Formats: sequence, structure tokens, C-alpha cells
Amino acid sequence: MSYYPDMTIIQGMARIQRERRLPPNVVPDTSSTLVSLGMPTQAMQIVLQGDMRGEYRILDVGKFFKVRDPDEVETLIQVHPEQRVQFGQELARRGRGRRAKVLQSPADGEVVRIERGQIILQVSERHVEILARVPGDIEDAEARAVQIVTRGAAIQCAWGNGQSVFGPYQFLPEDGFFALSKMDVSISEYRNVVVISTAPVSKGDLLVARQQEAWGVVAPSMPSDLREFAMQLKFPVLLTEGFGQRRPTSLIYNLLQTNIGRTAAFDAVTPDPWSTEQPEIVIPLPSGSVTPPTPALDQPLQVGTQVRIVRRPWEGFIGEVVELPPKPQVIENGLQVRCARVQLSNSRVEVIPLANLELLGQSVGRPPIDQL
Amino acid sequence: MAEETTINSLLIADIGSVHTRLVLLDLVEGQYRLVASSRARTTAQPPLSSVSRGLEHAAERMTEMIGRRLLSPEPDQAFFIPETGGHGVDAFLATGSAGRPMRVFVVGLTPEISLTSARHVLAGTYVTVTDSLNPDDLRSREELVNTILRDEPDLIFIVGGTDGGAEDILIEQVETVRAALSLVTRGKMPTVLFAGNRELRRRVDAMLGSLTTVFAAKNIRPSLQEENLFPAQIELAMVYDDYRSSSPGGFAAGGRQSRIGVIPTTQGYMSAIRYLSELPEPGIGPLCVDVGSANSLLMAGVNHEPRFTIRTDLGVGHNAVQALAHITPASLQRWLPFDSSPADLRDYAWNKQLYPGTMPVTDEDLMIEQAFAREIIRLLVADARPDWGLGHGSLLPHFDPIIAAGAILTEAQHPGISAMLLLDALQPAGITRLRLDPHNLLSALGVAAYLDPVIMVQALESGGIVNLGTAFCPLGSVRDGSDALYVQIRLADGRVINHTVKGGEIWMAPTVPGLQARVTVKMRRGLSIQGKRRLSATVMTGTAGIIFDARGRPLVMPRTKTRAARFLQWQYAMSGRELSLSPKPQEDIQLPSLDDVDDLFPDLDSGFEPFSDFDGGFEQQEPV
Repeated sequence: MSYYPDMTIIQGMARIQRERRLPPNVVPDTSSTLVSLGMPTQAMQIVLQGDMRGEYRILDVGKFFKVRDPDEVETLIQVHPEQRVQFGQELARRGRGRRAKVLQSPADGEVVRIERGQIILQVSERHVEILARVPGDIEDAEARAVQIVTRGAAIQCAWGNGQSVFGPYQFLPEDGFFALSKMDVSISEYRNVVVISTAPVSKGDLLVARQQEAWGVVAPSMPSDLREFAMQLKFPVLLTEGFGQRRPTSLIYNLLQTNIGRTAAFDAVTPDPWSTEQPEIVIPLPSGSVTPPTPALDQPLQVGTQVRIVRRPWEGFIGEVVELPPKPQVIENGLQVRCARVQLSNSRVEVIPLANLELLGQSVGRPPIDQL
Repeated sequence: MAEETTINSLLIADIGSVHTRLVLLDLVEGQYRLVASSRARTTAQPPLSSVSRGLEHAAERMTEMIGRRLLSPEPDQAFFIPETGGHGVDAFLATGSAGRPMRVFVVGLTPEISLTSARHVLAGTYVTVTDSLNPDDLRSREELVNTILRDEPDLIFIVGGTDGGAEDILIEQVETVRAALSLVTRGKMPTVLFAGNRELRRRVDAMLGSLTTVFAAKNIRPSLQEENLFPAQIELAMVYDDYRSSSPGGFAAGGRQSRIGVIPTTQGYMSAIRYLSELPEPGIGPLCVDVGSANSLLMAGVNHEPRFTIRTDLGVGHNAVQALAHITPASLQRWLPFDSSPADLRDYAWNKQLYPGTMPVTDEDLMIEQAFAREIIRLLVADARPDWGLGHGSLLPHFDPIIAAGAILTEAQHPGISAMLLLDALQPAGITRLRLDPHNLLSALGVAAYLDPVIMVQALESGGIVNLGTAFCPLGSVRDGSDALYVQIRLADGRVINHTVKGGEIWMAPTVPGLQARVTVKMRRGLSIQGKRRLSATVMTGTAGIIFDARGRPLVMPRTKTRAARFLQWQYAMSGRELSLSPKPQEDIQLPSLDDVDDLFPDLDSGFEPFSDFDGGFEQQEPV
């Protein structure tokens, strides 16, 4: 019986395509071209920019000047639609000289419309810049969106705090953040690198990371109550598994270990069920003349498939499906559900509900990722 | 909407947040029957972002089960092949609840009349009301325009005025809407649905029609005394299809295959509850509860009219965190026979939200999830009670039958646990029939009724709704451990069961399903059913036998000291299975080395052996 599990991409070498898009309420700045087709980009390079427009101000010119005749009101207005105006700029004037009464712009913005004696002004709030967040080549560029293609290791994570960085990374010393806290920040090898912890992190650990001027923290999990705190940090915090006490997925940390010394893009997007963006780590790698495979997205579960278990008691384990029993199985808590028999890396075979298995983006029959 | 051509076979999909379910109805000996059901993971979200793939997976699975080919092999042809030679289907319909709820801004005249009726209409589908506007609103035109634009509603629902009543005041509100819509230059333009004073329909269309699509329905309040929701609900279903089709997730492609697009799952429920409410049954009417991953809903037949409560912020998966914010950890802890801190429960909710389709494996996890379901239902009842207009008591009005949908309720470890979840959460008093809808058949048949009402009538009788059993729940309470109910059950096969149920206990009579039984109950002083202390009734035994609940109404929760023991007793009584609650799991995770992280947790092996002695009395419902 075919079953198509969910997927978290954990690949040693893949062709990775990422879209960067301006939010809907941002007007693209088309005055200068930032990127073009085929152009290489750096992770922290701006690929899109625009103005996030703010609220509307409806300015009743007739009321301001106490003029009822619409025709007369029209003659007082000094600006035109689509005109950019600055705070304090004159929008309408009645009279001359020192006795003139002037309606000034309450903010920087753009006149969007003039109708029935009203000036409708849209306030410019801030300039928005969208970073590439992964190094690569521009495959498609439009006013509102660009596609970036890169090659390397891809690790999708569970949660991120909304920050991103591109840089080197380093595993924590044996005594973890405690050892880190004792280091002299001016000579510490953990300064200006992303710190990788294979154990769940606490608030104290994040404070140590900040004090040691780390560029980011990657860990299996942290208490969910730390979310608000983590969101205020200026460096990325990436959780590979989730919240609470979660076991690390060995494959992820082995992949990071294998590529130690390289720089990676740590994109700690906060996951949103209705968004296409996922928190992830991308380690750009040379692929030579060979085009690496794009992650296989729609694969049925089969005997031989490498899977990741995402729910306790075996969460974080990677295994291989050795049997797909055709009938539902009774699991530990008495539920009767469709399961797979999965051989874990310690050779133990466990019956795992299909719902708790994830694919890793590999095509069936390929060698395990850490052998790539 | 009855079809003129005969429909021999009908495939109905329900695209939920986690699962896409298919049910196949076919004419068997002249009667529509549920022939098969299947399900697959919904694929609306990345990386696939196309519900069609989930539909294909579910159809493939059904083909594997019954050997009937459903999918067209040609990618450029219709998705499902027409029925011929025992393969294909005559018609395909789709309902859906997956995806972000539709955001709605409501415009009306009076909060107590038109805006209340508008909310009654909106209660029938998956929406989030972003804000509302009425003439008493003290905000300036500028503030209102900015509010509408900032909230980015998908729909502006305009109601108000009786037919032939005052016009200018509503037109003024519409003018604000026009001002806002005229400023939408990018992003998605909200659709407008007008269901107010019918004299204004053309004027509203003239004001807004050049800016956006304007749907119109009959006035929901044609007079002050009359509320007419149905036409607006139908139109809202069309708006929802329009919204879904233009949303990410590939609903447009899936909807094109369906004769009626993708309509809200709740529309199917409405139709089915309307039908069930007309049946001559005991009680006020049916009550249907569906606890899903992202949404939860309660539907009641009150005076032959459906009443709906939908919460798009309560669910056991996608919305577990939002649900916990409403429920509070303390309420959940009442249902847990083990220590679990508020922080643990918050971690649980966040993880469930990250992995909404996953399934609990340990007893602890399952109990937490079932505790969520209980408390979500309690919230739904609290929300729905004022709308029922059946008094303000703490007890549930006598709805019968009670039908449960959603995997957390229908796929418990034992039918007895499904029954107990309903009894704990709803606390019905008296004699109540409990049913399960594991295939989401009710909403599917409600939709099928749009094609031909006969399909619903016949298929409902074909056994797709599982009879859990009848529950006898006396009003009042007696001391724990004292004799409370003296029960005699005379089964149709001649067997007689006599049993005494003690106060504070729940008992599931061990009977095979599908037997007629004559039940006589004598109750101790302090307890009564329908005002009597002795009564007899003829019932059909269900998959959970016949249930006698002497825990009191209102339900008396055990004191903290005895809670764990009592709770485990109830679980055992309703499942025949003892729980092995492990000590708080994974308190200490050691710092792993990178050599072999998997091998760092050998201790977790102990205590997690699957139960092999479980009698497996509850069959998986997939093949029918």
C-alpha cells in the first residue's frame, strides 16, 4: 500500500533553488538593477529592495481652508498624483505672502490620489532590502522576486528566530557552553563563528553565545518558553529538531562535522505553516561538472528508504525501512496504525507509525547521505 | 440542484489540514452504499504545494484496496476517469478545510441584529473575522480605511438594513469600503459579499463592482423578526471556493475536477445536520463534533435548524499552540494521571505544531493529545451554548445522537476511549447514543445531497457511521465507592448480565456490537435519568458495548491526590488495557559526542515494548 510521508531535506549534495520575494506591501525599487540573470550572488548581498508603504492619510483640503467650492479647492492644491513629498512640504496654499495659510505634508510619502477636494497620501515607512541568504547564481530575476540556485549540502531545520548569517561554524568544546563562558572573548576561536551544540540549549547558553560574540547558535532544541527571548537576539538561532528536550538527528550533525572549516548560510526563518520558507542551513560545495540531483519531493515510502523518525521515543533516529506490514499494527500506547519496521543505526528494528517518518529528499536506492 | 442523469458512482474528497480523505459511493442493488474509503497526507503545503498530489495518493490507495482504477493515465485528461467496466466514477465532489482561514471584514448596521446574523452566517465556514464596522464606530474614515487595508481581508461581508428600510446609513459604510478598495494597488483585492437590504443591491454593485468581484445574496435580515441565513451561506461557499482557488496549495486544479468546486467541509455538515434534524429521533436533535488539526467545529440540530460553531484557532496539530493559549495548561493537567509541568505542555504543543501530522506513540503523549481534544470540545460547547438558546445551565442539553469526527476522537486506542472522550468533554446526561464518523462521511454525504438528496439518505443507512453504543449517564452524584447503578442487560441472544456500578466509576458492558438489548437501570437516591430512579430502555449494542457512567453530572473530577489512580481506573474500564506510565521521559539528555549520536540513548530502549496482549477489538476503518 503506497504511502507518501512528509519530508525534511537533509542532503550532502544537492541542487538547491531558493526564491526571494518582496512582501506584498512593498513597492519594488526599479531605479537600479541589483541582480540579473546568471549573475553570481553572495549570501549577504541585497537582491531586491523597495519601499514598504505605510498607512494612508486623507487630507481634506476644503475643510482645512474652510472652502466649500470644490473648484476653488482644486486651485489651492500644489501637488499632483504620484508625486513624492517630504514631511513639512507644502501640499496646498491659500493666500499670499506672510498671511498665506499652508497645508503641509504630515509625513514623507507619495500622493496617491486627489479627489473631491481630498489629498490621499501614502506614508513611506521604511526601505526594505531582501538578502540572498544563500550564495549562488541568479536563475530568474523579476521586479518582485528572484530565483537563486546553488549547489551544496542542504539541512532543513525545525525552527528559527528570524535572523540569518553567512559564515564559518564551530562545534562547541566538550564542556559545552560552560567551557565557552570561561574563554577570553578577544582570543576565543568561537568569536564570529556560528556555534553548533549537539545538546539542547538554555537561556544561559544563549546569553553565553551573545557574550562570546558568536554569530549564531545551532542546537537540537530549547524550551519553547525561550522563543520570545530568542526572537530578540540579533544572531540566528536554529533548532534542528524542535522544543523541549529533543535528541539530535545524527545525520545533521555528522553532515556539519564533515564540512567543518567551510562557510555556510544559516537562514533561521521562523516557520509559518502558510509560507513556503523553511529554516535551513546551506553549505555551498564545489560540484565540478556534475549537476547534483534536485531533492526528490514526491516519493512513496518503500523498503530500503532512509527515513528520519520525528516523534518520541525514537525521535532523531535515522533508519532504513526494512518492512512495510500491509495491516495496521498495535503500537505501544494501544493505537492501531499503519507502521513500518525500521532498522535503526544500532541495528535494532522498531515498529514506527508511518505518520512519524519523514523522507530526507533522497531518491530511493541512493546511498545514505553521509556516504555521499 | 438535483442532477437529471443517473449517478451510479460518486467519489467525494475531503481535503483536511493533515489528511485528504476519499469516500466512494456506489449503487449496490439499487441503493447508494459506502463502498470504500481511503486517505493520504494532504499536500497543500510545501514542498509539493498542490492538493492534487494528495488526491492522487488517496486515489492510488483506494485502487490498491479495491482494484478499481480511478485516475486517468493521461496527464492532459480529466483527473478521474468516467465510470466504465467497474472502473472510474460518474462524479467527483470536493470539500476542504485545509489552508489558511479566509480573513473577513464585516460591515453592518447594528451589532445586536445585522452583525450578529453576519456572524451566524460566517460560523458556517473557515474564517477569521479581522474587524467590523458599524455606524456607531467612533474611528475616523482615515482610521477605518487603514484598518481595512492593514488587515488585508480576503472578503468584505456587508450586511444591514431590512428590505425596504433605511438606505443612506448603510451606503455611508459602503462608501468607506469603496475608499479603502480604491487604494488597493497591489496584493490581493478583497472580494465583497452583500447580503443586506435588497433595495441596495444594485447601488452597492455600482459602487464596488468596478473595483472588485461583488457577490450578492438575499438579505439575512429581511425584517427585524426574520433571520434568513441559508442563501448567504450558499453564496459564502462560492466565495470560499473562489478564495481557495486563488490561494497557494493548488486548490484550483483540484476544484476543477469537482462539480461544485472545493466547498467548505462545514457546508456538507450543514446539509447533513439539517437532514438529521428532521428525523423523528429522541432528544433535541443531533450533535456533531469534529476536532481537527487546524480547525474544530460543533454542529447541533436545534429545533430542526443547524447551529454551528467553528473555531479556526483550535486544533490538536496546526493550532495546538493557539489551543493551549485558550485552554491553559492547568485545564489540561486535570486529565493527566502523571506530572507534566506547564512548560512541558507548552513544549508539547509547539512540537505538535511543528509536526502536526505525527502520531503519539507513548501513553503519556496520547493522553496529552486526548486531553487537548477534551478541552477543545469544552471550549466549543461554551462558545455554542448562547447560540443554542436552550438555557444557561452547566449541563449539555439532551442532544441525541452525538457523532464524533476527527482522528483524535475516531481513532482512539479503543472504542471505549472514544466514548469516554465524548462523555468527559460533553457530559451528556440521560440516555445518549454515541456515534463515530471515521470516514468523514457525514460532510461527504451532505455535499452529495446537493446532487441528489437520495444519495445521503440511502448511504447514511449503509453503515459508514459507527455505532459506539448507548451511554446511560444519570444526573446527580453519589459518594465514590458506594453502589450507584444496578444494571440488568437482557441481550437478544438470551444472555443476561447483572452488574452494580459504583459511584465515581464508569462501566462498559462487555457485549458484542449489533445486538438488541433490553436495559433496566435502578439508581440510588441522588441519581436520576429523565426524573426517574428506575427505567428500562431497548438499545443496540455498539463497538463500545453499552456504557454506564456513575461519575456524576456534572462530572465530579477526582481530587488531586486520587486523580491519577482514578483516571487509570477509568481508562482500564473503557479499554481493558492497563497503562504503563513511564517516569517523566528524557529528563536528562547528555551531551552527545559526534561519533555516534544514536548510540547515546541506550536507556530509552527499556519500557517501550509494544503491548502484545491487546485484543485488538477495534478494527482499522479503512476498507469497508
